[in-house]
Amino acid sequence: MVESSNNPRDKKLRATGYMLKPLWVTLRTMVRVSLPGHRPRTIMYPWEKSIIPDCFRGRPGIILDKCIACQKCVKVCPTTCIKMVQIEHETLGKVKRPEVNVGRCMMCGNCAEVCPTNAMIVTPEFELASYTRDDLIYDPIKLQHPWKAGYEINYEEQLPSNMKGPAAKKGSMELKDTVCLEAKKCISCSRCEKTCPTGAVKMTDTGEVNEKTKKPIKRPVFDDTKCVSCEMCVDVCPKDCLTMKEAQ
Amino acid sequence: MTEMWVNMGPQHPMTHGLWSLRVKINGEIITDAEPMIGYLHRGWEKMMENRDYHQIVPLADRLCYASSLSWSHLYCKTVEDLLELEVPERAQWIRTLTLEIQRIASHLMWLAAIGTDLGSYTMFLLPMREREMFLDLMTDLSGSRMTTNYPRIGGVRNDLPPNWERDTLRVLNLFEKRLREFEALFDECSAFLMRTKGVGKLSGPEAINLGMTGPFMRGCNVDFDLRRDDPYEKYSEVDFRVCTHPDCDSYARYRVRIDEMYESCNIIRQCFQKMKQGPVRVKSPKAVPAGRAFAHVEDPRGEGLMYLISDGSDKPYRLKVRSPIFVIVSGMPAALIGEKVADIPAIMGMADMCLGETDR
Repeated sequence: MVESSNNPRDKKLRATGYMLKPLWVTLRTMVRVSLPGHRPRTIMYPWEKSIIPDCFRGRPGIILDKCIACQKCVKVCPTTCIKMVQIEHETLGKVKRPEVNVGRCMMCGNCAEVCPTNAMIVTPEFELASYTRDDLIYDPIKLQHPWKAGYEINYEEQLPSNMKGPAAKKGSMELKDTVCLEAKKCISCSRCEKTCPTGAVKMTDTGEVNEKTKKPIKRPVFDDTKCVSCEMCVDVCPKDCLTMKEAQ
Repeated sequence: MTEMWVNMGPQHPMTHGLWSLRVKINGEIITDAEPMIGYLHRGWEKMMENRDYHQIVPLADRLCYASSLSWSHLYCKTVEDLLELEVPERAQWIRTLTLEIQRIASHLMWLAAIGTDLGSYTMFLLPMREREMFLDLMTDLSGSRMTTNYPRIGGVRNDLPPNWERDTLRVLNLFEKRLREFEALFDECSAFLMRTKGVGKLSGPEAINLGMTGPFMRGCNVDFDLRRDDPYEKYSEVDFRVCTHPDCDSYARYRVRIDEMYESCNIIRQCFQKMKQGPVRVKSPKAVPAGRAFAHVEDPRGEGLMYLISDGSDKPYRLKVRSPIFVIVSGMPAALIGEKVADIPAIMGMADMCLGETDR
């Protein structure tokens, strides 16, 4: 089909002339990579590791001291590979901490991104092959990883109402979604107080007294500085009287 | 002479990914062709109906392994259209330049694939080596080589890391030299020219009728590019040429993609010059108002489109994906009929098949 082309070189150079340039490129590359001082493009992998940046997203890791069991990572995981399990803590007793099924994890780093205390981190560990599937389920103890700068994911966000102003850091007061109480529906069960991982909910007396039981009526009061917007109180409320008000 | 059907694939070196091409041959001449897909169907669109809006971003990356960023960007853009959310200036610039880096990486992947299709191992190794430089840039930026999870609804995940601009410009300078080397390797190789010139002829009007888009259509001498004709992000503020080629054959499609890589380098340089400091991310609401939105972008393979229907909850009611390759491969029989069996890799390779987005 070369005859039909209108490239003027076709007439000058026959097929053999056309072979020389690519051969020259190939040979030059071969000489270039084998000269001393020119490192080859491949590495001897199991013996020699490639250099990866600290922000590389490998398996998720956890710093157990920082975790407050807010379950935000469980909610955000697209593959639902994070589960909360009970472990024995030295000072706090029985606590819930995340367990990650690394075999299902797709290393998106979303869990580290939403973590309000930066307890979830992304580690540069990527050699995760194992002989059984049980080995791939990392319990909180196995999930631990030493911290290094760059492992946690911080970002700066802007509120849509404040486009021109300075950006706010992750977890700052401006960006926080706050809990709203619809007091009419509340039955003072104080489940929100019990579930809150940070102790931001306090049941306080309203001064009123229940006419039937003659006991004082209590309503939850939310401390926004402590709140991490984990929505656990919203989920646990039996009467659906709590809603999230998003920062706009 | 009797005609017969021959199956090429699903396990065939010509098929990148899992699909099959049934061709009806009369001796060496193809008289009919029928692409068969569906081996990689994962129910992606249905799966999205029980994920919330923020969880879909990393899953949208999985649509195409070679150009993941353009798909997660397309998804974020669709949701932003529905929310009427304004993305900060700097985030738009960053998106523009990362999309172009992704385009170069994707085209290099195609260039390597076409090398093996036509039986030259050097043509495979050299583009793969250059692609690694761009993947390293993406690793520094987002922490991942291929499935970047970098765009967010309302911006991008993080700002550019320190020294990234310097590294990118160095890579581009080196890459343009290497690209000329590729031209010497491909364009001046008689074997490559003999395989690609004059095969797979498809005229412009025919390509438009079949709904083909992207470099394949521009290789059929149609001057259309969504980046110029329906600009999104910051493409309206950068100068670039829409690459076309008058030959309408496989060689033309190869030329279009090579020229696009040069143009992408220009766009990235312009982005760095025009970019200003500023915020990169806006907080986006969790629940999306009820309504419909669609967005289309110029994917490295063609026009990618997403159509989103929301019912006001925190999960999409329906998310439809229009994949460019699905349309191109459906129209491929028009280019194949009348050609020889041995030319099938040279014609089909120019479509740059990616089954992740085709089957979804």
